[in-house]
Amino acid sequence: MSRLELIGPQGLRTDGRRFNELRNMNCKPSVLSQADGSAYIEQGNTKCLAAVYGPREVLHCSYSFILNYLINQILILLLLQARTKAQVLHNRANINVEISLAPFSMEERKKRSKSDKRILEIASAVKQTFEPIIMTELYARSQIDIYLQILQFDGGTVQICINAATLAIIDAGIPMKDYVCACSAGCIDDEPVLDLNHLEESNTPELTVALLPKNDKITLLQMESRLHIDKFQQVMEMAAKGCKEIHTVLDKAVRENIKDLLKKSSI
Amino acid sequence: MGNVTNENIINLNTAITFEAETFRRIQPEEYLRRYIQQHVRPDGRSFNHFRKTTVNLSCITTADGSSMVRIGNTTVICGIKAEVSEPNVNFPKEGYLVPNVDLSPICSPRFKPGPPSEQAQVLSENLNKLLKNSKVIDLETLCIEEGKAAWVLFADLVCVNYDGNVFDACVIALMSALMNVRLPEAVYEDGIVKATEEKTIILGLIRITYSASFAMFDGQHLLVDPNEMEESITKDGITVVVDETGKLCNIWKTGSSCSSEQLKTCISKARDRYADITSIIEIAKQAIKKIE
Repeated sequence: MSRLELIGPQGLRTDGRRFNELRNMNCKPSVLSQADGSAYIEQGNTKCLAAVYGPREVLHCSYSFILNYLINQILILLLLQARTKAQVLHNRANINVEISLAPFSMEERKKRSKSDKRILEIASAVKQTFEPIIMTELYARSQIDIYLQILQFDGGTVQICINAATLAIIDAGIPMKDYVCACSAGCIDDEPVLDLNHLEESNTPELTVALLPKNDKITLLQMESRLHIDKFQQVMEMAAKGCKEIHTVLDKAVRENIKDLLKKSSI
Repeated sequence: MGNVTNENIINLNTAITFEAETFRRIQPEEYLRRYIQQHVRPDGRSFNHFRKTTVNLSCITTADGSSMVRIGNTTVICGIKAEVSEPNVNFPKEGYLVPNVDLSPICSPRFKPGPPSEQAQVLSENLNKLLKNSKVIDLETLCIEEGKAAWVLFADLVCVNYDGNVFDACVIALMSALMNVRLPEAVYEDGIVKATEEKTIILGLIRITYSASFAMFDGQHLLVDPNEMEESITKDGITVVVDETGKLCNIWKTGSSCSSEQLKTCISKARDRYADITSIIEIAKQAIKKIE
């Protein structure tokens, strides 16, 4: 049985990158007109679209008329609130993240329902990453909805969702303490490698790190496979470096977008 | 002149004037009416002007055929995936073509999260009817082995930005994605379907149909390609679908009555629109060839 060659003879990976190279990244904020903030990011072959609506009034479930027909109204209200994630927090804004994987995004068509556990887990990770970063205390009793649509999947879901959400939130004008940049890193043949694609992440341990670039603080760290403790430090440093590179790309995109806006508005 | 009279009356009686944006929120119909009376629409278009339409082909590499269509701000992405399945017992030589439209909260604040809304289901069903009744592809070409295996083409349309006239965008996206579907050669052997790595088979479309949608305001003004604001104010609409020979494939008419003259105008405008869309898709195909 031949072993999968993730690193070829010249030290190049399956897509021709070196061990410390990020995938080709393309990002553009302000792509949707209906959303308050939006962004489109491509990292290699993974494409993600983010839309942010908010801060807006908390959307209550539209099934409220059913309440009148049911005996135990309080229980139903609680159940419905749980389903629609409509929470009114008295001192800050409620952040709601929904990730949707398009059926044509993977090699095999899978109509992933919204309540697929894996997707809910990623959405929850994104929400927990942004909760301390977005200044929610400024918008009490309101809701910030972050919708992420993955159009093409080639590994790195969590990182591209976080990067896209960062750009979209900046585009929406919602104040944040800092950029949140995420990157994944792994270990192939005892060598730390940066930014894994789908083939690599299915075969090697993967570590995803989200960083605040200003003071190098880590907001998210996820690893779901076995990695030798000696390698951990190197892999984490590699991921942190990757996050800083991504920060430069995102920052450049934001500044160019604002320059365009200024040009257009000064006409 | 009629417009001036109305304004005079309002000023004399109430002496309240509003900023345009406030007026748009509290009296949307009247707001639109003021524009219509000047023979222009709020976004500056004339009644017969379609918004700028662009098509990008083969944008999703994981799909067997894909396209992205923008009509103004309305953006729809179509991805077609092919799978193998047993054909229907009643139609053993035919494959399946299954369209599905997804209107999710990402595209507009009017869509709430949850199961597909009525609008999304209606769109999916209309597309399904369009494909079946107009016989866009010969389903027998999707057959691999009679009675045993056939291709199922799942066409998933995701709307990412909703600014009115999603149906037209969906139809164009679906047709252009079908045009660039590439299937592998499949052979049925001993209960297993074997397919080649290379995707070389191009789907042959018998008929290519495009649609043109119209909104009707006050029973008399036909607005071509309504945007979201116009759609929500005018509940009446007409959608006409024609094919390459100019033949009528489908008509959907909703809301209050319209005259047969208006229907005739719609059909002839749909034919003109057909020619425009064909040239836009040609440009998209040329762009793909340049990259290849």
